[in-house]
Amino acid sequence: MNASVLTIGQIRAGNVCIMTLAGRIDSTNANDVQGELTRLFGSGEKSVVLDLGAVLYLTSAAFRVLLVASDEAERNAAKLVLCSVAGHVRDLFEMGGLTEVFTIHNSRDDALKQFA
Amino acid sequence: MTRPPDLIYAVEDAPPRAIMALSALQHVAIMAITLIFPIILARDAKLTGDAFLDLVSLSMLGLGVATVTLSLRSQFIGSGYLCPAAYTAIYLGPSLFALQKGGLALVFGMTVVAGLVQIAVAPMLRRLRALLPSEIAGLVIAIVGLTLAGLGIRYSLGIVDQEQINLDYLSVSGISLTTMIVLNIWSKSYGKMFCVLIGMLVGYAASAAVGIFDLSSVLPPEGVSLFRVPHLSHVGFSFDWLLFAPFAVAALAATLRVMGDVSNAQRLNDSDWVRPKFSSLAGGVAANGIAIIFCGLVGSFGVNSYSSSIGLSGATGVTSRSVGYAIGIAFAVLAFFPYAAVVLAAMPPPVMGASLFFTAAFVLTSGLQMTTARMLDARKNVVIGFSFAAAVAADIYHNALMAVPIVLQPIFGNSLVLGTTSAVLLNLIMRIGVRQRVSMKLEPGDINREALERFLSEQGARWAARRDVMSRAIFGAVQVCEVIGEPPGGVEIQASFDEFNLDIRMRYAGVPLVIPERRPTPREIVASGDGERLLGGYLLRQSADRITCRTSGDSVEVHLHYQH
Repeated sequence: MNASVLTIGQIRAGNVCIMTLAGRIDSTNANDVQGELTRLFGSGEKSVVLDLGAVLYLTSAAFRVLLVASDEAERNAAKLVLCSVAGHVRDLFEMGGLTEVFTIHNSRDDALKQFA
Repeated sequence: MTRPPDLIYAVEDAPPRAIMALSALQHVAIMAITLIFPIILARDAKLTGDAFLDLVSLSMLGLGVATVTLSLRSQFIGSGYLCPAAYTAIYLGPSLFALQKGGLALVFGMTVVAGLVQIAVAPMLRRLRALLPSEIAGLVIAIVGLTLAGLGIRYSLGIVDQEQINLDYLSVSGISLTTMIVLNIWSKSYGKMFCVLIGMLVGYAASAAVGIFDLSSVLPPEGVSLFRVPHLSHVGFSFDWLLFAPFAVAALAATLRVMGDVSNAQRLNDSDWVRPKFSSLAGGVAANGIAIIFCGLVGSFGVNSYSSSIGLSGATGVTSRSVGYAIGIAFAVLAFFPYAAVVLAAMPPPVMGASLFFTAAFVLTSGLQMTTARMLDARKNVVIGFSFAAAVAADIYHNALMAVPIVLQPIFGNSLVLGTTSAVLLNLIMRIGVRQRVSMKLEPGDINREALERFLSEQGARWAARRDVMSRAIFGAVQVCEVIGEPPGGVEIQASFDEFNLDIRMRYAGVPLVIPERRPTPREIVASGDGERLLGGYLLRQSADRITCRTSGDSVEVHLHYQH
């Protein structure tokens, strides 16, 4: 299996929906991520954790999708937090000045504590 | 140079005197283990009484001088890092052969020659740097760690000629090693800094309790005086061309070890370390040559940098160069107190074993980290894997391999030398057919990011490029594709690499790339596709070390440059 192909997973922890992304997120698959997040907020999810621990890198198209999703969460009175943003992916968030825009936790456990 | 956060005293720091003295004493204790090699020489030469103690005392003086010269920071001599010295098994074979052929005079004369060889090699290192890229430097360090660990186990378990474990040795080494580990991991400050020294003292006490600390084995029957100026009565010099080759090969092997050790010392002091600094390596090799000449002139044995001490400085977080000078002073003083020579020469083997095994862990992991920081393809896997296996085989089948002619014995009789020689030669062979400049084309209508990523990944592994740099380059190339969209003539991509630079040039026909200096706001990014493209250009500017965009008519060339 090609490690760079995007895979999207979902699990629940109580009332929290954890969406895991793995691989590369660019303009060819960013819409898949956006579609999934839109579906979640549309179905009434109020607490979503986006785990980026297995993401290799993301391009500007992916950042745009995350910003759009963040706005969408706000409109639906829901909360979107990111976790496990490390290494090169974290560097990209910092370069883009986006660490301040999102709520980012070091680990999934830390993120879940926020919703406890 | 960025100071690693876990260092307590870095190379330029001057610790308080008490800490410096205890740190130096700790190094002295583990360096003294290697006095075993001049002691073997002295015993084979049938030296007894004062002559025996003279050789041991002068060998201690040699360790002091060697540590100071190796640690010096000057333009031509010294590595500039805390780099303690040790007597090495590399010279054991040639020295014992020289002893048989012409007595101690020939050993000392040829030892001086080995030092001259190292001094001659030092200025050429920069030109030879392609022979020792970072992944091979890491391999050399890992082999040294493995060798030290093997030696440590042998001493710890009391395995001599028969493969039997001595339970007294096992209990002493177990107590000593446990003390070192507990202090290093679960204590702070002083406990961590002096874990090996405390562990060795506990080991001495345990050895005395079970009756294996035996001073009489090295104490002359007539006893020793408290203070004595060592004499040079056993010293003489001669030369034999027949011995030149084995000593020259041993000198080259010692050179490789200095290069590995100094690289490791550099890395311990710099969390941004990516490759060896060759001025420091050359200074270290020249210093080692001078130290060997000194050891030959005072009637001692071939000396080398000491990987265990480098491992110790990493484990304790004390890498201050000042400690090297303190070690020099300590050994210079101890050389005049024969009782010190007796106590150090009688160090119980399980105490030696515990210290070697403990420090080996830090040397081994340091080497593995250096190697795995690089991308490795099948060629590099052959180079690293075969050479590592050759090093292990040299230890397992030592007796069989020592059947080679004397001139080849320093290579086949030593795991470090065989592993390194194998790595250097295989690396040269595997370079055949690896181009430093490669290109590909993404056809119009099929800007396949996956193919681009695979192309750059495979090429990075062929070049053994750093993983972190290659990740940035792959992101950069894909991000350019995102911003420029689907140019009518496709995109031509050319990638070139040398150890210091990675350059990617992307040519297409269309609109030039916008590389803004100002970061777009989240609002601008969300508002339209233009905002997203601005973010893309801005990320490219930030992630590459240099980015330029040139146009010529309808043709555009984006050049991404990454320092490697």
